[in-house]
Amino acid sequence: MNENEKKGTNRIVIPIGPQHPSLKEPGCFTIVLEGEKVVDAHIGIGYNHRGLEKACESRNYIQTLYLIERVCGICSHTHSTAYCQGIEELTGLSIPKRAAYIRVIVAELERLHSHLLWLGVAAHEIGFDTLFMYTWRDREKVLDILADVCGNRVNYGINTIGGVRRDIDDEMLKNMSKVLDFLQDQLKYYLDLALTETTLSARLAGIGKLSREEALSFGAVGPVARAAGIEEDIRVIEPYAAYPEIPVKIVTDTHADVFGRTIVRIKEMLESLEIIRFCIKNLPGGEIAVKAPRRIPAGEVISRTEAPRGENIHYIRSNGTDILDRIRVRAPSEANWHGMRHMLQGEYLADVPITIAAIDPCYSCTDRAIVVNSGSKTEVMDWQALRQFGIEWHKKRGIDLSAIKMPERKIYSL
Amino acid sequence: MGLFKKAIEWGSRKSPWIIHFNAGACNGCDIEAIAALTPRFDLERMGVVQQGSPRHADILLCTGAVTLQTKDRLKQIYDQMPEPKYVIAVGTCACSGGIFDGCYCVMGGIDKVIPVDVYIPGCAVHPEAIISAVQKLLEHLKSREK
Amino acid sequence: MQAEQMIVDKLCKRFDFLQDRIHVQREKRIFTSPLPREEFEQVIHYLHDEMGFYKASHVVGTDDGDDLGFIYILSNREGIILALKEKAPKLDPRIRTMTELYPSLELHERELVNLFGAVVEGLPGDSSYPLPDGWPKGSYPLRKDWKPEYFDKNTMTYKPPIYEGEKEDGSK
Repeated sequence: MNENEKKGTNRIVIPIGPQHPSLKEPGCFTIVLEGEKVVDAHIGIGYNHRGLEKACESRNYIQTLYLIERVCGICSHTHSTAYCQGIEELTGLSIPKRAAYIRVIVAELERLHSHLLWLGVAAHEIGFDTLFMYTWRDREKVLDILADVCGNRVNYGINTIGGVRRDIDDEMLKNMSKVLDFLQDQLKYYLDLALTETTLSARLAGIGKLSREEALSFGAVGPVARAAGIEEDIRVIEPYAAYPEIPVKIVTDTHADVFGRTIVRIKEMLESLEIIRFCIKNLPGGEIAVKAPRRIPAGEVISRTEAPRGENIHYIRSNGTDILDRIRVRAPSEANWHGMRHMLQGEYLADVPITIAAIDPCYSCTDRAIVVNSGSKTEVMDWQALRQFGIEWHKKRGIDLSAIKMPERKIYSL
Repeated sequence: MGLFKKAIEWGSRKSPWIIHFNAGACNGCDIEAIAALTPRFDLERMGVVQQGSPRHADILLCTGAVTLQTKDRLKQIYDQMPEPKYVIAVGTCACSGGIFDGCYCVMGGIDKVIPVDVYIPGCAVHPEAIISAVQKLLEHLKSREK
Repeated sequence: MQAEQMIVDKLCKRFDFLQDRIHVQREKRIFTSPLPREEFEQVIHYLHDEMGFYKASHVVGTDDGDDLGFIYILSNREGIILALKEKAPKLDPRIRTMTELYPSLELHERELVNLFGAVVEGLPGDSSYPLPDGWPKGSYPLRKDWKPEYFDKNTMTYKPPIYEGEKEDGSK
């Protein structure tokens, strides 16, 4: 009989995954419980490892651009921007100002759609499906503009080395402004809901804590770090594209938990609306691209952008030919995984789904896999069952999000 | 027994239950597949409901080029689904491996591992294309009944 | 670029061997040349303990011909990135883990083991990551001489062609 069995505690290992109905990305978590609380967590990712970097080493720079865009479907523009910037730095190219502004507009639209997506998914994890439907309906408006500007709802393909491929006309700008005004109302309502609806804050506050010191030591990035009061945003630290000319406010919070991350993301969306409005007002005329050479001079570069999930880093090395030598993509989710294990420790099993969802993990960006632990007793629970367990557990304690009545919001039409 | 089988097939035609699996995708097609369930596109009005467990599902909606790590899980999920079952490959990567064909960890399209009934090309697939594919599948089943 | 130059000057003063092997590439970017293990370890400890480079965003593995390269991307609170490079000969690619200084490097160092065949001493755990179970031992996909066309995905075996005059073990 080992120590734990003598004391009467049971370590239950619950492998979850690798198929998650809600998160839509393969991953395998192993949660080790003592009673109802998590004492350890092992994260298993890697099912999305495709061998992309090796493939890039036998493709030319334009072919690689399309591969890099598809590292992740949710934050594809940020990857392609980081890549293009890196190559432009290697060749000493300066892109036209209009192209830089268009890149920023698409980047902020991407931030809007990504945060709205997250808000919906997080609402779904805690059983607040009405909010899920509302936010995804609002998100459709953003995707409409993106389809207008870029020609596609997902995987925009607007960037090329030397600038952008499509121009924005006045009609698009007019539609954009209308949608921004609509979203302003919606987002103000969601912020109000988060700050005043006590059921919601009861569900989210105090969960998944990661203090400022811990966030710094684990190297957390993006909203996870900013919710712990760390003022770090690549758009301000190292402004790229048109950001040197655009006022950007870094949104921080001090809650350092899931509630804080929610507030930061909603406020960031409101900030994105201001940035897009600034761009629309100050969009310069001129060309949208300069010609880029096929052969890139030998050198190496580290390129950074602020993705919706945080700092995105690309390392690119060229060897003077038209074929890429080495590329390494460090997506923001990779930085946040390490802190997640710490966040889960001490949480109730019922809070595991929302804690994991709150770092907004993008498995495709991270695209990798790990280990499974085994204790004295093993129980298999799929994600749907765990999510349902969490919802029922909180209902018994008086927190029922499906009972929140949301007033009918106006239907937007152009 | 014939009547029982007919009832099952009628049930899966009238109200197919879907399970969604990501076999190594970039998430682009996945978010469009979820968008198909949201108010603007609303697959639910066709009686389509998303399930978490393969044992309750009629249709497997699969995205992504199959990676070496997920091919066994994909096969497992397919085997767990009860008959009659159908597979829809969503996206160019699921149809043929797409832009990732040839990468060292990618098997290729879904049909390298399990039989596929409907192919939806696109990068990423528009939710309307998914609705159209489900509709075509249901019509095909109806015409096969006759 | 004053802050960056000050960092370079301070490092060169502290470590003689860094003279001519560290430079400011542009604003917020400092690069070094690949350093052998002993020198690298001295510099990284100094950067972490005395110079406020509190974050290691990543370690990039590279195949540099006879050596394997390891580029540690470090940053300080001002957002300055210092790419500190380490090298180890391909025939004996031993390096020491830096997870005691930077715990978040664990995942990334595991990748170096799997994808490049590096031996990272002191790295906890021994799982294969990110490659699938059953991946052939000794087969490192990100090395330049590894070609995807010789890899059979169905049997998970790697069979490069044997040229005339070359023995089975690859020697001439």
